[in-house]
Amino acid sequence: MDDYTWKDKEYLKERMEYTGIHPQKFALWLAMASMTMFFAALTSALIVKKADFQTWENFKLPTVFLYSTICIISVSVVLHLSLVNYRKANFTAFRLLLFAGFVLGTAFLGLQLLGWNELKEMGMPLAGNLSGAFIYLITSAHGFHIAVGLLFLLIFLFFAIRSRKDPIYELKNIANPKRQFNLELLVSFWHYIDIVWIYLYVFFYLNY
Amino acid sequence: MHSAEINVNTDLHAHGHDHGHDHAHGHDDHHHEETWIQKYIFSTDHKMIGKQFLITGMFWGIVGGLLSVLFRLQLGWPNETFPFLETFLGRWAEGGKISNEFYLSLVTMHGTILVFFVLTGGLSGTFANLLIPYQLGIRDMASGFMNMLSYWFFFAASVVMLSSFFIQTGPASGGWTAYPPINGIKDIALNKGSGLGFDLWALAMTLFVVSSLLGGLNYVATILNMRTKGMTMMKMPLTIWAFMFTAVLGILSFPALLAGVSLLEFDRLLGTSFYLNDIIINGNLLDYKGGSPILYQHLFWFLGHPEVYIIILPAMGIVSEVLSVHARKPIFGYRAMVISIMAIVIIAFLVWAHHMFVTGMNPNLGAVFVLFTLLIAVPSAIKVFNWIGTIWKGSIRLNTPMLFAIGFVSFFISGGLTGIMLGNSAIDIQLHDTYFVVAHFHIVMGVAAFCGMFAGVYHWFPRFYGRFMNETLGLIHFWITLIGAYAIFFPMHFMTGLPRRYFSFANFETFNNFNNLTEFISVAAIVVFFAQLVFIVNFFYSIFKGRKLEGEYNNPWGGTTLEWTAPVERLHGNWPGEIPTVYRWPYDYSVNGRSFIPQDEPLEPGEVEHK
Ligand code: HEM
Ligand SMILES: [Cu+2]
Repeated sequence: MDDYTWKDKEYLKERMEYTGIHPQKFALWLAMASMTMFFAALTSALIVKKADFQTWENFKLPTVFLYSTICIISVSVVLHLSLVNYRKANFTAFRLLLFAGFVLGTAFLGLQLLGWNELKEMGMPLAGNLSGAFIYLITSAHGFHIAVGLLFLLIFLFFAIRSRKDPIYELKNIANPKRQFNLELLVSFWHYIDIVWIYLYVFFYLNY
Repeated sequence: MHSAEINVNTDLHAHGHDHGHDHAHGHDDHHHEETWIQKYIFSTDHKMIGKQFLITGMFWGIVGGLLSVLFRLQLGWPNETFPFLETFLGRWAEGGKISNEFYLSLVTMHGTILVFFVLTGGLSGTFANLLIPYQLGIRDMASGFMNMLSYWFFFAASVVMLSSFFIQTGPASGGWTAYPPINGIKDIALNKGSGLGFDLWALAMTLFVVSSLLGGLNYVATILNMRTKGMTMMKMPLTIWAFMFTAVLGILSFPALLAGVSLLEFDRLLGTSFYLNDIIINGNLLDYKGGSPILYQHLFWFLGHPEVYIIILPAMGIVSEVLSVHARKPIFGYRAMVISIMAIVIIAFLVWAHHMFVTGMNPNLGAVFVLFTLLIAVPSAIKVFNWIGTIWKGSIRLNTPMLFAIGFVSFFISGGLTGIMLGNSAIDIQLHDTYFVVAHFHIVMGVAAFCGMFAGVYHWFPRFYGRFMNETLGLIHFWITLIGAYAIFFPMHFMTGLPRRYFSFANFETFNNFNNLTEFISVAAIVVFFAQLVFIVNFFYSIFKGRKLEGEYNNPWGGTTLEWTAPVERLHGNWPGEIPTVYRWPYDYSVNGRSFIPQDEPLEPGEVEHK
């Protein structure tokens, strides 16, 4: 089977110039459509429930959620800068920013936990009124996506830091479009879950 | 988009050995030998993954079918005992009689397994994987790694689902639709199947959804972005259209199931009351306030109805292909077929509440759903018309794949007609949750989709194994299945008022007159089950001992599509040399005085391209 070579790369290049997109990036967009349906299902469940439930209790959103919103926006900014630096082959800045993104992302999860705590203290435990339960439900569903994002970030970080002193590795980085492409996918994913949170925050804000 | 962002060197061809470590150099210069594990277990090759889905699907098919034989024993002979059942099932069948609770587990798991693990995972997973790259002239899926994960999530889901048979309280028993409140409270004193069994069900379904999403993203991305030169959308075989829209349906509807099940698990494990309200058990009022089980039904059926099309569309695609090839005629109304598929996909999202006519919904809202439900019959009917048009006056070869394809059309018509009856809310209120519904969906979905799947297996078996399946065994399999399946499900239409999911009707005087009929159905069900074993035997026998394809020429049916231009031998990358370029549509049968013209043959001078 080895007389076979991947000479069709030329052809694929042509294909992509035609469709203008890498198929894996396209797959990520489809995944975003799917995740959007997931959050749409959850939030429409809230709307339906709110409409038919007599004893729905409104309350003021935990203030922590405002901070977590700021936090996650900064994750997006930091990761974007990290990608920019990677493209410019500033690997030190890239690594630092990637690390900052990881820390901020983890902080976001911590803030969400504080938010839950605040909810509980204002008399809205998980198993209490449905209005509160929806917040726990939706934030944990979103938090799960964040956790997955953090996992991939960690893997990236691991490879970025592991061989930082190795000049050949740095060279390979410059010459390796696959890594840059994967980084682009990862950063896009983070932008996406960032936007989802902003949507959720506004949604909560309007409904509570 | 600027070309700086388009990285051709990235891993489009997903070699077995790419696990995320860095390759600075391209792939050309290093071809490792694949290890056995890379080749057969953790393969990223679409052909191997397709076969993995097929074999796993066949395993589940046997398990799911066997479960139905068990509950048919109870239904057909409610007063008999079968001591061998106790030997196998232990306390689930004490004294040789299946227990009431286990009966409910059996129907629940039968439905779940057949709907999701066989007719979704098994059917789409198999044929989308085997055919998309081959029919479109592609080396492999957009991401081989994701494709591999898709199978292994399916496998994990299978392990979890299967494990629920071996726990103390038994598998889930609240129906394949998993309605609350019965499934919403984790109380085994109330119902054993609502214990750990249900949590395993939910976990398995979550893994399953992840699997089908990973697969679906890949299929759509591959179809839209990676087709070979000349393969415009309107030159794609109908199989591909079907797989693509199946995947789109899944991508957009499975999340609703995940959402529904998440709320359910919150209720079960964390004490919320999304679906529960004022539940009284043994005189005690439980602490749940404000939820509504109807909310679950909306979330479930928002997936549930598209799901039935996720099952039937791939079968429709396969059947379109098989009918055209074996009737030696171009498909009738290609464009109408494509538009019908699109129409079905759109309307499929707008009809879910026809499963909920009796939930006390506003009749005006119900009327809207009646309207859309009846509308969906239109594209379905167009497709039926075109299939008949395709074989009309064709030079039909009545071999096994063709017979199963014709069987599909027959079942789809029979079951579609009862669908139109059910779609009218005024009629459905009488028929809901009776055996009439059971008859409807088994014929239109269950049996029809199986026929499509068998047509596909018999048709493409020579392509993927280099040998034919045994024709005599195939014919035996077909005729018993056709006659047997009608014998099982046709009488159910006339068992008026008989409620589904009942363990026994002994306490209902009125239903005594169906006793002979239920017994007859049970006999037929057992016969049909054993006929499927003929298929399994034929399948494995033929892999090793079947009649071989002869010579270089490996296009036994005279098909036009690209999969027949690739060697049978399993190559990484499918074609040893260049990928063929496409010049014509996929249905040039009996034209220009020739039996068929392959898609990669340039147009003759002066020949007009089919539009
Ligand atoms: C002609 C178009 C069709 C119409 C108008 C239609 C209508 C309906 C209606 C109204 C019901 C609800 C019955 C009830 O529970 O009271 C139903 C049930 C069902 N239909 Fe159809 N149907 C059609 C085609 C199909 C197709 C093509 C499939 C699958 C491939 C399918 C699969 C099912 C299933 C699985 C159920 C029962 C689910 C359950 O309750 O367990 N139907 N159909
Ligand atoms: Cu439906």
